[in-house]
Amino acid sequence: MSFHPQMDYAPARFHRSARRLADQGEPFAFTPERQAAFDRSVARYPADRRRSAILAALYLVQEQQGYVSRQAMRFVATQVACTPAEVEDVVTYYVMYYRRPVGTYVLAVCRTLSCALNGAERVTEALAEALGVEPGGTDATGTFTLTEFECLGACDRAPVVMVNNEHWQERLTPDRVPRFLEDLRARGLAALGGCLHAGAEPGDRAS
Amino acid sequence: MEAVSLTIDGVPVTVEKGRTVLQAAIEAGVRVPYYCYHPGLDIDGSCRVCIVKIEKMPKLQTSCSTVCSEGMVVSTTDPEVADARAAVFEFLLINHPLDCPVCDKGGECPLQDFSYSFGPDESRMDFPRRVFDGEGVMADVDFGPTLMLNRNRCILCTRCIRFMREIDGDAQISVADRGNGSEIATFDEEGVHSLLSGNLMDVCPVGAITTRDYRFKSRPWDNPAVADTVCTMCSKGCHTSVWLKGKPEWARGSKLVRITPRLAPEINGYWMCDIGRFGYHWVEGERRLVRPIVRGADGAQAAAGWHDALRTVGMLLGAAREGGSGALRFVVSAHAATEEMFVLKGLMEALGEAAAATVHWQRSEKDQPAAVKFTIPVTDAPNVNGARDLGYAVGAGNDGVPDLSALQQAVNAGSVKAVYVVDPGPAGSIGDLSWLAAARTAGRPAVLIVQAVESSPLTDAADVVLPGSAWLEKDGLFTNDQGRVQGASRALAPPGDARDDWSILVDVAHALGVTLGYAQAGDVRKAIAEALPGGPYADVDQVTFARPVKASHWLRTSNPSERWKWDFMFQDLPPVKGHSVQTEQGYVDGRVLPLRPVG
Repeated sequence: MSFHPQMDYAPARFHRSARRLADQGEPFAFTPERQAAFDRSVARYPADRRRSAILAALYLVQEQQGYVSRQAMRFVATQVACTPAEVEDVVTYYVMYYRRPVGTYVLAVCRTLSCALNGAERVTEALAEALGVEPGGTDATGTFTLTEFECLGACDRAPVVMVNNEHWQERLTPDRVPRFLEDLRARGLAALGGCLHAGAEPGDRAS
Repeated sequence: MEAVSLTIDGVPVTVEKGRTVLQAAIEAGVRVPYYCYHPGLDIDGSCRVCIVKIEKMPKLQTSCSTVCSEGMVVSTTDPEVADARAAVFEFLLINHPLDCPVCDKGGECPLQDFSYSFGPDESRMDFPRRVFDGEGVMADVDFGPTLMLNRNRCILCTRCIRFMREIDGDAQISVADRGNGSEIATFDEEGVHSLLSGNLMDVCPVGAITTRDYRFKSRPWDNPAVADTVCTMCSKGCHTSVWLKGKPEWARGSKLVRITPRLAPEINGYWMCDIGRFGYHWVEGERRLVRPIVRGADGAQAAAGWHDALRTVGMLLGAAREGGSGALRFVVSAHAATEEMFVLKGLMEALGEAAAATVHWQRSEKDQPAAVKFTIPVTDAPNVNGARDLGYAVGAGNDGVPDLSALQQAVNAGSVKAVYVVDPGPAGSIGDLSWLAAARTAGRPAVLIVQAVESSPLTDAADVVLPGSAWLEKDGLFTNDQGRVQGASRALAPPGDARDDWSILVDVAHALGVTLGYAQAGDVRKAIAEALPGGPYADVDQVTFARPVKASHWLRTSNPSERWKWDFMFQDLPPVKGHSVQTEQGYVDGRVLPLRPVG
């Protein structure tokens, strides 16, 4: 019998990577205000170190577009004088840059030790069930995106959920999840509990 | 040089200030494993296997990123080091597939070697491995026109990323994602598009990046011989090594399996370009000329013996030399070795003003990034400077554009009776001579003799075709763009009846009644040394040419910074039955025809 007859060695038969690619998006350019903001941040660095402004540029892209498309990565590469591959390296490293469109509210459930011990996984499951999405997905209405994050630094008030990178809901337990989502839909970010202070809620240990 | 003294494993070592502990250990022959360190690239410190214990330092240190300082006491064998190193290897092997039997790197893989030497005896990992694109060979995905990528095998040493960033100057590769999901990727899966892409296979310490050219073609133990030579595909003159597959004479397929770069700090460093690396297939290709061809009275070309061919050449050229000044023109490819050009020059001097020669070659602009550190010259021929040094007119020199318009005008005017082309490069490498083939077909000149290695429209139009040798089939001197005189060594025997080009020219001279008196190539080099004293050619008769050597020997002696890690390889290889690679001991050059009167 010949050596592994199923194995076709002809180059034409090798497949392309199945790695899922984010969409290309529309051709991208900064709005004049954002271009001015970008020029201000670039000016902080030496002329041959434009790439130091890459994080600022990507935040501006995300502010304008809601996420960072492939076209935007190419645009940023030309702006900061590096290659698109290097921009992709940065975008994929930092979880706060989104590579595909996200909902109005991005719910980031902390999954690091303290939160995990306090049942963060159950919270994620409850959110996933309530929204009908897997972690990483966006619900059908385009309102919520569910993701998991590493430590958000609120270990004493675990489990904690971060919304839109700037707002917090602490002590979120699975049974409070439906009401949390309802409130968020009804009242927006004002519904969030924000940062609790030690002892602000019954059961908290006074420091 | 400011020196620093330190102790590694109890052995006192003195190194140049600024060297790292790993470099000191390599220089001292101490065995420290490494993956992300590469002598030609920046230091990264990401693979962690080179950790050593340094006295007075609180923790184990990565030796590749620790600079030597005076009085350091380093241990690479401390039990603490051995345990930590084994733990790193265990991590490296968590996701690395055990497909060594079908992996191209198997047998010359630092991950194999170091795991055997320093890794744990067995794996504790009983859960499924992380898989990116598929399992086994099907995980190989396109990585540009020359490469394939298997992400499962990657250990994320980032050598390829640093090569593209630092040497190629166009950072096309990056690490996508993070943590356990990290993978080597190009933007949009575009693949690597670079004239230096083949070097990525060299720098990859595992089988993640392989070349389409070499994949599944051979295994290290099938390549019992390696010959050190010099690339002649452009005027840079990179030092290369030619890998020969050991197989019986009657087996099909080529013997030449790959060409890899050889360290030459002032010429090519650790690298070579894809043109030289992948452009060797013509040497054993279908278009090689293996017999002399003579156009008979009926106008058809037919294979002939050397004796008949040389007699015909003598007759045709003998008639042409009576045609007056410039009636006999030679066109020499800059792919010809200095020996050949020198013999031809001797012949022309004997023929007097009837003969004239023009050197010609091909040029091409190479599309390389502005920041590239390894530039490929525009001149696609190795020996323009050699021709210049011998006194041939080469126009504007190595970087200039060669000019044949004077010859073309003379041919059109009808003053040229015969043209003799010396073209030992691949077809087309002499430049565009289609006008000459058309001119011969139209009857002017009346005689076209082509000494070449590949059949082409030019040989189809020729009256006599003499099969010469490619650069891998002869010892030859080539003068590169820096003016260095380098010896390119013979790795293979020429096919069929093909012969060394210098000896063909000697016989052609003899057929014309000119006795040059060279019996072997060494005689020619001696004459060159005498004719050009005081310069770079003064000692060319002392140049030693390499012969194919056992691959194990080659691996131990080639790259000093990678040397010791090959010590474990090739120890118990069975001899390949009936393979016919000529090694130093068994090499006999019996192919030079004896000089004898013709006709």
